[in-house]
Amino acid sequence: MSLGKARPYIMIFPAILVFTLFFLYPIGYMIYLSFHDWNFISPDKNYVGFENFAVLLKDAKFMQVLQNTFIYSALTVSLTISISLMLALWLNRKGTMYGFVQGAIFSPHIISLVSISMLWMWLMDTDYGLLNWFLNLFGITNVPWLTDPKTSLLSLIIVAVWKGIGYYTLIFIAGLQSIPQDIYEAAALDDTSKVRTFLKLTLPMLSPTLFFLTIIGLIGSFQVFETIAIMTGGGPINSTNTIVYYIYENGFRFFKIGYASTAGVLLLGIIGVFTILYFRLLSRKVHYQ
Amino acid sequence: MKNICRMLGLLALIVVLGACGDKKDDKASSEHKVSADSGRTEITYWYAFGDKIGENNENLVKMFNDSQDKILVKAEFQGNYGDLHSKTQAAFAAKNAPEVTLNEISSIGVFARSGMTEDLTPFIERDSDIKLNDFNPGLMGNSYVDGKIHGLPYLRSTPILYMNVDMLKEAGLDPAGPKNWKEFEEYLRALTVEGQTVGMSMPADIWFFEGFVGAGGGDMLSDDEKEVTFNGEAGVEALEFWKKLSSEGILKIPAGDEASAQAAQDFANGRSAMIFGSTAGLTNNLSIAKENGFELNTAFMPANKVNGVPTGGANLVMTAGLSPEKQEAAWEFIKWMTAKEQTIYASTYTGYLPSRLSAVNSEEMQNLYKETPQYKVAVDQLEYGKARPMADSYPEIANILRDEIARCLLEGTSPKEALDKAAELANPLLK
Repeated sequence: MSLGKARPYIMIFPAILVFTLFFLYPIGYMIYLSFHDWNFISPDKNYVGFENFAVLLKDAKFMQVLQNTFIYSALTVSLTISISLMLALWLNRKGTMYGFVQGAIFSPHIISLVSISMLWMWLMDTDYGLLNWFLNLFGITNVPWLTDPKTSLLSLIIVAVWKGIGYYTLIFIAGLQSIPQDIYEAAALDDTSKVRTFLKLTLPMLSPTLFFLTIIGLIGSFQVFETIAIMTGGGPINSTNTIVYYIYENGFRFFKIGYASTAGVLLLGIIGVFTILYFRLLSRKVHYQ
Repeated sequence: MKNICRMLGLLALIVVLGACGDKKDDKASSEHKVSADSGRTEITYWYAFGDKIGENNENLVKMFNDSQDKILVKAEFQGNYGDLHSKTQAAFAAKNAPEVTLNEISSIGVFARSGMTEDLTPFIERDSDIKLNDFNPGLMGNSYVDGKIHGLPYLRSTPILYMNVDMLKEAGLDPAGPKNWKEFEEYLRALTVEGQTVGMSMPADIWFFEGFVGAGGGDMLSDDEKEVTFNGEAGVEALEFWKKLSSEGILKIPAGDEASAQAAQDFANGRSAMIFGSTAGLTNNLSIAKENGFELNTAFMPANKVNGVPTGGANLVMTAGLSPEKQEAAWEFIKWMTAKEQTIYASTYTGYLPSRLSAVNSEEMQNLYKETPQYKVAVDQLEYGKARPMADSYPEIANILRDEIARCLLEGTSPKEALDKAAELANPLLK
């Protein structure tokens, strides 16, 4: 074929088209909408300048939503990473039992989040749930998992951690196995303690994996939606409302698409800042082979 | 070998792609065939809720399609009211909306004012056989937007009191039920056995709150819908009453997203003696009571100063911007669905109110009321029925109010404070 210089452009055209159509255009349109007051339907969109932003940043409800999202993300990611790192260290060896455990903790990852939400809703039911039945055996009174503003966000974090652990462990094990064995042998010859080996050898060698999982985890948990939509509806008293659910609620329940877009722009900004920050700051400290 | 594999892969791809294409063509041509063969106008109808209510919708649509050969209606289930509204809105924006759909009555206003639903007034004026004054006047309040009719009453309801008669008798209470708040409180107290049963399990639902405010002679919004009035005397009294009953432990108020399901569950297995619920659930509740071996009775929501209950449910609406052909088809369908015979069918099948007076007075309904008097309570209560607020921002206001009420019940803000706070947040939305 003699397409000459045009060839690469022709080859990437489909990908670029899809990217533009389903990624760049919606982002542009969202930013455009964030300066308007519109209910999705009416033919005229009222230009309101920065009013949506001003209202949003003064909105006490949105401040709580932001706080919820940050708490949710920080706890989900840190808990998932620390638990799965421990599991990975334990499971990183051969044997039927280890394989079985690894398979078992991975299984939540392949189940649809909607099914998981329904399942945990039953488990966490205050009066009829399995969790409280189990706690009752030890004389602990019913915990109002999802129905009390004090425990509801934590309950959602538990579900997210439970779902995430298997996948994180798998990636950690892959990371552990790619560390060359000879440096461990060297450490063993020097009679280095296990803790020291872990802190000075394993952790630095694992840092690319750790870095990858932190970013993926943070971005993912900033976008949490399904569990909230199904399990709590953002309540009770706004205690589990997070940015994406807030956007959905305003756009599709209250018909305020301009205002919802404004929150969307803010989410885009937050995730963007996080990504840049982590790439610039953390990547320097991360050890690459 | 490698080449063969590649060839096979390519072949598989072609088959799959081909199959996709075929399917589309098949569908298009078969659809085309139906309309070409019979010349039927096709329209789509979206409805909410499954179970008995869903069956009722599917059955009626099938009956309509069999009854004539000009119009073919496709019925599609869309989840609950919230889902249905969101999807209608998105479909309308994508110019792919169903011709006929349901609007929950407090959303009639926002849909009509944003130009999504057709003004039905010209159709009604043209067709005198629709007999507008045959519709129950208590249900028409939510049909008018700015003086124009945007929807006709279809599956309409009011909240009623469901009671477990066995438990009432055991506690030595009259199974007819409490008439007013004072008796209601006494019933709750008598029916509560600490650690075992509770008088009533009731989610802090805004619809029920509307009922309690109405019973105190109050309203949720001012008449011009420019200001909230739920923080007035009637509202504060209602919330104080809830709080008092709940802190005494004789009224259980489950919280969270599943509160309604929880309350229904409590009632079904005899943990609570009474619940409030939509009349739409009557048929279902009767069968639950039968399964669990208890007798079920229904009564008005208890009065305080007056009787005053909200109405609920959905009206049938036609989406705006249809071709004249589709409009005629949609109108025929709406007319048929709200006619006397279908009203009787739907009401008997589900427990929803018969929205036509001629249906109420029909022999079928009167026989049903004689056999199962529980069905009659909601119809009688309708005398005190009120329209729901229709302000564009009412869904959001209800949300704010729900949060503040929960704060009052769970975290101990005083009722007056909670309602004032809700009013302060809600009022700017009405401007």
